[in-house]
Amino acid sequence: MQQNQQPGVLRLDGVAHAYGPNRVLNGIDLSVGTGEVLALVGENGAGKSTLMKIVAGYLAPGQGAATWEGRPIPSDPQGAEAAGIVLVHQEFALIPDLSVAENILLGHEPTGRLGLIDYAAMRETARNALRLLKSDIDPRAGLAGLPVSSWQVVELAKAFAARPRLLLMDEPTAVLGAKEADALFACIRDFVAGGGSVIFTSHRLDEVLAISDRVAVLRDGEITLDRPTDALNEHDIASAMIGREMSDLFPPLSPLPTAAPILSVEGLSVARNFGSPVQDVGFDLAPGEILGIAGLVGAGRTELVEGLVGLRPATARRFALKGVERPLPDAVEAWQLGLAYLTEDRKARGLLLGENLQVNTALTVGALTGGTVLDPGAEARLYEQAQGRYSIRAASPRIAVGRLSGGNQQKVLIAKTLASEPEIVILDEPTRGVDIGAKGQIYQVIADLAAQGKAVIVISSEMSELIGLAHRILVLDRGRVAGIIAPPEGERPTERDILDLALGLGTQGTPL
Amino acid sequence: MIKTTLGRAGPLLGLVLLFLAGSLLSPTFLSSENLLNVLTRSAVIGIIAIGATFVITGKGLDLSVGAMAALVAGLSVLAMNAMLPTLGPFLSLVAGLLLALLFGGAAGFVNGGLVVWGKIDAFIVTLGTMGIMRSLITWMSDGGSISLDFALRDVGRPLYYGTVLGVPVPVLIFAVLAIGGEIVMTRLRFGRHVTAIGSNAQVARHSAIRVDRVRLATYVLQGLCVGLATLIYIPRLGAVTPSTGLLWELEAIAAVIIGGTALSGGYGRVWGTVVGVLILGLVANILNLTSLVSPHLNGAFQGVIIVIAVLLQRRRSID
Amino acid sequence: MKLSRRNLLATGAAGLALPAAAVLPAAAQEKTARIGVAIPAATHGWTGGLNFHTERTIQSMQAAFPQLEFILTTSGDVQGQVNNVEDLVAQQIDALIILPMESDPLTEPVKAAKDRGIFITAVDRGLAQEGIEDLYVGGNNPQYGVVAGEYFRSKLPNGGKIVVMRGIPTAIDNIRIEAFQKVLDGSGVEILDMQYANWNPDKAFEVMQDYLTRFPQIDGVWAGDDDAALGARAAIEQAERQEGMVLLGGSGMNRVIKMIMDGDTLIDADIFYPPTLIQPAIEVTAMRYATQSPIRGRYVLDSPLIKKENAAEFYFPDSPY
Repeated sequence: MQQNQQPGVLRLDGVAHAYGPNRVLNGIDLSVGTGEVLALVGENGAGKSTLMKIVAGYLAPGQGAATWEGRPIPSDPQGAEAAGIVLVHQEFALIPDLSVAENILLGHEPTGRLGLIDYAAMRETARNALRLLKSDIDPRAGLAGLPVSSWQVVELAKAFAARPRLLLMDEPTAVLGAKEADALFACIRDFVAGGGSVIFTSHRLDEVLAISDRVAVLRDGEITLDRPTDALNEHDIASAMIGREMSDLFPPLSPLPTAAPILSVEGLSVARNFGSPVQDVGFDLAPGEILGIAGLVGAGRTELVEGLVGLRPATARRFALKGVERPLPDAVEAWQLGLAYLTEDRKARGLLLGENLQVNTALTVGALTGGTVLDPGAEARLYEQAQGRYSIRAASPRIAVGRLSGGNQQKVLIAKTLASEPEIVILDEPTRGVDIGAKGQIYQVIADLAAQGKAVIVISSEMSELIGLAHRILVLDRGRVAGIIAPPEGERPTERDILDLALGLGTQGTPL
Repeated sequence: MIKTTLGRAGPLLGLVLLFLAGSLLSPTFLSSENLLNVLTRSAVIGIIAIGATFVITGKGLDLSVGAMAALVAGLSVLAMNAMLPTLGPFLSLVAGLLLALLFGGAAGFVNGGLVVWGKIDAFIVTLGTMGIMRSLITWMSDGGSISLDFALRDVGRPLYYGTVLGVPVPVLIFAVLAIGGEIVMTRLRFGRHVTAIGSNAQVARHSAIRVDRVRLATYVLQGLCVGLATLIYIPRLGAVTPSTGLLWELEAIAAVIIGGTALSGGYGRVWGTVVGVLILGLVANILNLTSLVSPHLNGAFQGVIIVIAVLLQRRRSID
Repeated sequence: MKLSRRNLLATGAAGLALPAAAVLPAAAQEKTARIGVAIPAATHGWTGGLNFHTERTIQSMQAAFPQLEFILTTSGDVQGQVNNVEDLVAQQIDALIILPMESDPLTEPVKAAKDRGIFITAVDRGLAQEGIEDLYVGGNNPQYGVVAGEYFRSKLPNGGKIVVMRGIPTAIDNIRIEAFQKVLDGSGVEILDMQYANWNPDKAFEVMQDYLTRFPQIDGVWAGDDDAALGARAAIEQAERQEGMVLLGGSGMNRVIKMIMDGDTLIDADIFYPPTLIQPAIEVTAMRYATQSPIRGRYVLDSPLIKKENAAEFYFPDSPY
């Protein structure tokens, strides 16, 4: 056990943990050496967060030993932090009312004479920490006014400023832009070059391959793969995660239908308080077609469809359903016309987190076609059907939807949105925050909708998703249509095709 | 699960404790006469509080109900007195009662309209209309009282003092409204939509619910409840003064919250409100029936009871 | 300048001043004055009547003396009244007519006004410190309690059990109740309980219901105020306990005086304490500026017992209270 005394070495031996009767981790053996970056990968609920919490001292392991530099990891976060282990939370542990600098140095404020806080030194330290992440956020800015991606940067800067030797990061790039993510990776490389170690989790396998030295895959509380990154590809990792082959994630694409369009839009404009307004957007959508909408964050994708379904003030030169022109609908008319919209923000706009599964599933269809009196029997049947059709996993239909995992919540949201049997379905980021297993199921639902002759619009930030799913892809750039990519039968566009349009580099698409 | 049940039953537990305390402290507490007195006079606040349950469940607030009750009562009395010579007492009374509902509904419509279309915070809107309505009744009565004509009093008296099969009329109206309210809240789509809006208005908007219309309806419903309450109130003393309904809004809100409805919206139960109203009524009754505390401390005692009743159910949200 | 009139008015008797004012030709006055009035808002019947009479008196004074300017402020609570006084002082008033909601907290602000040379008229209640007010027009609050006590002594010569409703917790309520208890000492009339009914009919109704439940024998009720008496009356009638019951309110509400005149079985007396006392206060103060006469002094209005025989004297059917 001599090597255990070596500085910067983490060892887990037979670590297991259970919440009540629910076993989350089972006999985990894992080690991380000095200067190593370990990527911890797995579906939601595989046990990644629990493992991270054990290493960070938030949880004591139920069984087995967790040691850091030869000694057991202190069983409180302060102790672990003193020993050099710092966890960057997935949920932000920041205080909105304080400035960026105050947040970064929270609990480690530099003091000057008389024990007063030295604000100049604090700002300087914060600025340096932010510079390492290639960020130009003003340390004096109030956190409350900054976008979510900046919060993540501040959270990371706070972690680096604590001068850790083992840094734990839970989904650090989930809300970061490409530039910020690159800066973070550079930072990680510097950090490990200086003798630090890193464990991070991510859903994005390209990132995992780019930055890690070693990959450990967790499935159902057990390690199913632990190998150097050099010897792996995305396919290996995904297969270890879901326990089956990756290739059937995307269902086969049905042929592009030739029917007359069910929805035609011309000259759609949507005002925005921030960013460029959506201007002069037009497209046709046929029954059985899947139209992807791509674009950078802020290009106006959500605003475009919200304007279309009456959730935002909008104007259109022409709006026609099944060839019949009519004014843009209001939010309820849209549903009555068979135009359904699934929000990208399932917690704030999609589901009543405190209500049970039945109530949520029946909410929209009940408002549309339900009678004055509630019909609990019909609601139970509706949920039962939905549970089978969308394979929702929940202990009981009476539990609050907020207690489900992200993937199951998303399936409930899909069930709620589709319960009224709409003809046109608009899905905004339908797989956000969802693990790979659930993703595959959602892709299948989308393909089935098209196969049944429904017209589908999918907005996604994951280009591979649109490439795998959509017949055509409309690319937005700063509120305008940069092009609509309609590849010939049997061919798929590449990410490059989409990016060129999204970045305003070319017009490869076939304008409609 | 035991904790959850205990939390849900919290107000009921408080009611039982009060009954025990009352019967131990006063020999007359459990007399049917006393209990009917408390029930009857709780009916006015109770009917208003049932309306408030819907407003609060929908994440709204109506501070104007007390002033509204005074104004609606004053207008109805004036109208009844004016109609008396032409219509006679009975028809005037009926017309007056219908007018009270109409006035109440209209006042609620104004509150709701300002909240929904004016996009002003409900607290501010109803604080404003509270002042307006309170001033109007003071002005209409010249600071004195507006009295119901004696011919009408005899006809209207049974509305407060009458009984049906031994049950006082106000208690009967309160009970019917409470059962109706409970059904609307838990069994009708309207109640579901009010809850959804109170829980998360954005989600409701994304779920094909006409948020503005439902919200407006809660305020109109509150106004109708106030109108109904004044029907019972007017015959009791036959007069309306500028002090009629003073602080009723706080009593109604307190009853709703004691009953377990969330002040932040999204969770409401009408039966809880009924229990809350009874708790408030019984506390005052027990204090009057005993010399337990100095009258100067009555307010403190009531405050303690309210806080305890809410603490008892706090477990629900933790669970 | 009408020196002779000034000398005449210098006696300061309100009774003389009022007719004198009526004969003064409006054109004769030249000096303008600004008079601030701070009274409680209409939170119960009596203050409602007070507001009514204040407004009416100000209107008639302004019509008679156009050179006088009145600023009326009302407030529902003590702090609001303190603010009102400060605002009035800031508006450069020459005189302040105040009915203090509470004596203690208003003493300092009114004294500050006095120190700036403002003429102070206190109504109904004095201030906590002697010599601040130049003019005092008040009801007789101790007498109010004494009259009530004597009424029950005479009605229950062989003793009896009574319940008492107090008003809004204030200094005047304390003064009345203390005087009342003193009179009853040793009379054999026993006070069973006292509860606050806030001079409010609804509250009095509930308190009375509970008294009736609690005490099998009640010979008399002092409701302290006519509004409250009407509420108590409804509860007594509901319980059908009118037999042998003596009910007294107070302050002279016209509806109650009419009942006494008509020979009501339950309420056969009242104590005069009308909100009209604001009227002489405003008139006398106005006179000081209209006529340039050095008026000061104390005027205490009697609070006699009103019975059927003399009720007509106190009946003003047009008053809202």
